[in-house]
Amino acid sequence: MPFIFRMAFRETRAAWKRLAFFFLCLSIGVGSIVTLRSVIQTVRHTLTRESRALLGGDLSLSTNRPWDPKVRDTIDSTLASIPYTARADELETMSMVRPEDPEKQVARLVELVGVQQAYPLYGTVTLEGGYPYAHGLLRDHGALLRRDLLVQLDVGIGEAIVIGDRRFTVRGVITAEPGRSTGGFSFGSRVFVDFADLQETGLITYGSRASYRVRLKVADGAADRLASSLRGPLRSQFVSVRSFRSTENRLSDNLVRAENYLSLVGLVIVVLGGVGVWSVVRVFVHQKIKAVAVLKCVGATARQILGIYVLQVLGMGLAGSLAGVGFAGAALWWLRPVIDTTAGIATPYALTGAAIAQGAGIGLLISLLFALVPLLDVRHVRPSLLLRAAERPPHGPDWVKRAAIVSVGAGLVALASWQAASLRIGLVLSVGFAAIALILHGAGLLLVKVMAPLQASRRFEVRYAARRVVRPGNQTRAILLTVGLGAFLVVGVRVLQANLLNEFQLDLRPNTPDMFVIDIQPDQEAGVRALLSDSANGVRTQANLIPVLRARVSRVQGARVQLESYEDVRRRGGLGREYVITYRPGLEANETVVEGHFWDASPAERPEISIEEGLRDRAGLSLGDVVTFDILGRSVEATVTSVRRVDWADARAGGFMFVFRPGPLDSAPRMFIAPIKGPADPVARARLQRALTERFPNVSVVDVQEILASVSKVVSDVTFAVTVVGALVLFSGILILVGSISMTKFQRVYEAAVLKTLGATTRTVALLLVFEYALLGFIAGGIGSLGALGLSWGVSRYAFDVPWTPLPGYVAAGLAASIALVTVVGLAASLDVLRRKPLATLRAE
Amino acid sequence: MIELKGLSKTVMSGDQPLTILHPLDLNVPRSQFLAITGPSGSGKSTLLGLVAGLDAPTSGTIAIDGQDITGMGEDDLARLRSEKIGIVFQFFHLIPSLTALENVMVPLELAARRNARGRACELLDEVGLTERAHHYPSQLSGGEQQRVALARALSNDPPILLADEPTGNLDTANGQNVMELLLKVRTVRGATLLLATHDLALARRADGVLRLRGGVADAVSGPERGVPSFASGIAE
Repeated sequence: MPFIFRMAFRETRAAWKRLAFFFLCLSIGVGSIVTLRSVIQTVRHTLTRESRALLGGDLSLSTNRPWDPKVRDTIDSTLASIPYTARADELETMSMVRPEDPEKQVARLVELVGVQQAYPLYGTVTLEGGYPYAHGLLRDHGALLRRDLLVQLDVGIGEAIVIGDRRFTVRGVITAEPGRSTGGFSFGSRVFVDFADLQETGLITYGSRASYRVRLKVADGAADRLASSLRGPLRSQFVSVRSFRSTENRLSDNLVRAENYLSLVGLVIVVLGGVGVWSVVRVFVHQKIKAVAVLKCVGATARQILGIYVLQVLGMGLAGSLAGVGFAGAALWWLRPVIDTTAGIATPYALTGAAIAQGAGIGLLISLLFALVPLLDVRHVRPSLLLRAAERPPHGPDWVKRAAIVSVGAGLVALASWQAASLRIGLVLSVGFAAIALILHGAGLLLVKVMAPLQASRRFEVRYAARRVVRPGNQTRAILLTVGLGAFLVVGVRVLQANLLNEFQLDLRPNTPDMFVIDIQPDQEAGVRALLSDSANGVRTQANLIPVLRARVSRVQGARVQLESYEDVRRRGGLGREYVITYRPGLEANETVVEGHFWDASPAERPEISIEEGLRDRAGLSLGDVVTFDILGRSVEATVTSVRRVDWADARAGGFMFVFRPGPLDSAPRMFIAPIKGPADPVARARLQRALTERFPNVSVVDVQEILASVSKVVSDVTFAVTVVGALVLFSGILILVGSISMTKFQRVYEAAVLKTLGATTRTVALLLVFEYALLGFIAGGIGSLGALGLSWGVSRYAFDVPWTPLPGYVAAGLAASIALVTVVGLAASLDVLRRKPLATLRAE
Repeated sequence: MIELKGLSKTVMSGDQPLTILHPLDLNVPRSQFLAITGPSGSGKSTLLGLVAGLDAPTSGTIAIDGQDITGMGEDDLARLRSEKIGIVFQFFHLIPSLTALENVMVPLELAARRNARGRACELLDEVGLTERAHHYPSQLSGGEQQRVALARALSNDPPILLADEPTGNLDTANGQNVMELLLKVRTVRGATLLLATHDLALARRADGVLRLRGGVADAVSGPERGVPSFASGIAE
């Protein structure tokens, strides 16, 4: 074995305990990268393998307007030229469902799915009790429900429920349907009925909220050809055409992106570990100066010595990375039940080779990159220092070191870009890191200056501790970087999370609606209004029925944008979606006009619209632009005459991007919605829903309280994930803290021994340590927490676009926690400084 | 074997130049023992450091075995030491993370010698420390540490031994012990020895004595046993 390998081994044997903390930190980061990548890669492989089942066929055509005869002709003629092996039509809408038994005062909003004989083209439907699924179960008004709905409605198999104005019999309980996971977000439980039966319910009327789908099974290889020949003519008809392969690609792209972004969290932890490696190697080199001088004295070249320490770092980096892979394996084993239920797919989760390679590669690279610059200092160690304290070797700018710093920087950018699979994000991340490190460093210098007067304190312990913090050779820089960065990330994430959760809180203003009555037909307007106003029903607000229509922008002739067709609008982005529009004679309480003039109550001669501020800013619309809308096949041209600002937090009157002046839409197929504040009592709420659906079968009630419950579940899942990440970062920070304190312990042990011989009691030495670490904790925590405020402000404002509150409580808590943490860890790591007898220490020196 | 011409060393002390060794000519023939005496701060260690190539002179030249080392780079100097020079320090300077045996092995390994371990064992045996081979420096007494350092200095059979007050940090008995060992191994190997010491009795056993005072060689006593080979003078 070559010399440097042997020496590296010997050095590691002696020093690994002191270095272990940093490499443990590294391994946590590597572990998170490997875990995240393995999970997402497994999900990706499974999902793409199941993409036919996810799409429900080789090819899927879908629209949310009833099939137009012209569109049908296009489809039929295309299908005639390319044969398909199976076809299944599907219809999906939202509706209220109630038990037939009038004693049961309950009604629920559900997603109603009408399927044909051929369903499912791919995958299987699983029923509770292991019964096989067959279309026969649905024939003659049969229905399959989820277990939760059965419980909510208090009905059993064989009993009857009412959908629309028809009676259906519950024939079974669905546990899984192809292409849908239990975690997926939906507006209600899903109910399966026969396609033809659904059309008879009277729920599907012109303008009602429904989606229409045709799924096809075609011969191998024909899917893409068919998709491309259908896509052209159907796109302008608002029909989307998807082949399983495009689904596969889209899913795969999204997951790859998610994987890369999430892995950046792991990278942040690894870099944090890297910062630890940097500071520890600096101290390490300082402690090794004598050994390096001896080695040079007995004939080792600078290259050999550098080789020894680089090898040592690589060895420990490799060990840390392997430990990280081990952590990832354990994490996957532990997470398995959680992942299985959330993704809804039974897949064996295992570490993937690609994830292991990436994680371990990053661990090694980061340890090498961060260790290299401080290690280069061994080149300057003069062997003559063994004879007498050497004068500083007068060397000019160290170009090798500068080049190393530059290449380390470039290496980090490359690493981050590789992980995010985007040079831009890599650059942003690296520049962000560098900026944070610089700011921490600068602020640290500043705070150290501010602390300087403490050196004149009348208390010996404070005086001495302040000197230790301020004077050259202090550990301020290392602790500032690690604890400061840790506090920065943890407090930042916490404040951000609190701000996000605030945004999801139910607005507690009086009269905030908590129920939306939707799909009210024009001829039901008076009846619904009467029912909602009946004091016996307990509605706590006045019923305000708002007319709504669904529309798409198909053309814009504007000052800033010219979009000639729906194709152009789609490409433009931001305008391509379907909008819910309304018309009314005046402004609502939550609106103000910021540009132009809002019309008066008189009907318009020419169609006029008022747009929301965001559309002006994002989509580039302006006053005087002529926008053409496609409203259920009818074209309406309208001129923009005003721009409104809408207070979205005040939902009483709803919020509309486009509002029409009354007149042109009076005869259009429209519906009404009514935002109301329902009764507080849950029984009364259920009774109101039941009363509405009994009299108006097609009307649905969206209970915001239920939706808020599902939203808050999603938020709490996200919060859990964020908390785990924050905890990992914090844990890494503590490890680095313990590491850097034990690393610099030798110096304190010696000082304490000298102080003791000079008459200091153990109590004095202990107090001195407390002051020193409290001071360091104060500096690091203060800077980190303040920086976190900035981070949360920036992210809230620019990334999530939510209002931001500073939450000083979190900053104070962060500061207090940093002081406590640094002090406790510092004291705990220095216990033997207090315990050790001074003579032994001095003799060893 | 060692030839110094006009050798001097000046360092900056604050912003004042301070000459710690004034120009000196010296010639030490092969296998001779030169003692360097003088009070603390007289330049003994500096002179040894310059001869070992641990430090660069301000002026003058140093030739080791006929080879001028003054212009050599750090790494070439390191290789030269590996082949030709063994050094014993006052403060031992063992590597704390290595055992006694490994400390002795390091120079052998650096020189890529075969059977480094066996050779190191022999050397430890020679200094009487076979029993302590697997102890770390912190577990050894001062005298033992210095004997390990001596074994390390001898490991590559260097023709030149430099010793900087090797007993200065030891008690009398241990000091005598180490010194006897040093002189014995030198005699056995016929190595050239430069020994910096305060001990005049010890100096008397040398082939010649160079007395330094404030960085100036104020006396060179000739060979007492009739070897007229030390040529030294104070350069202009």
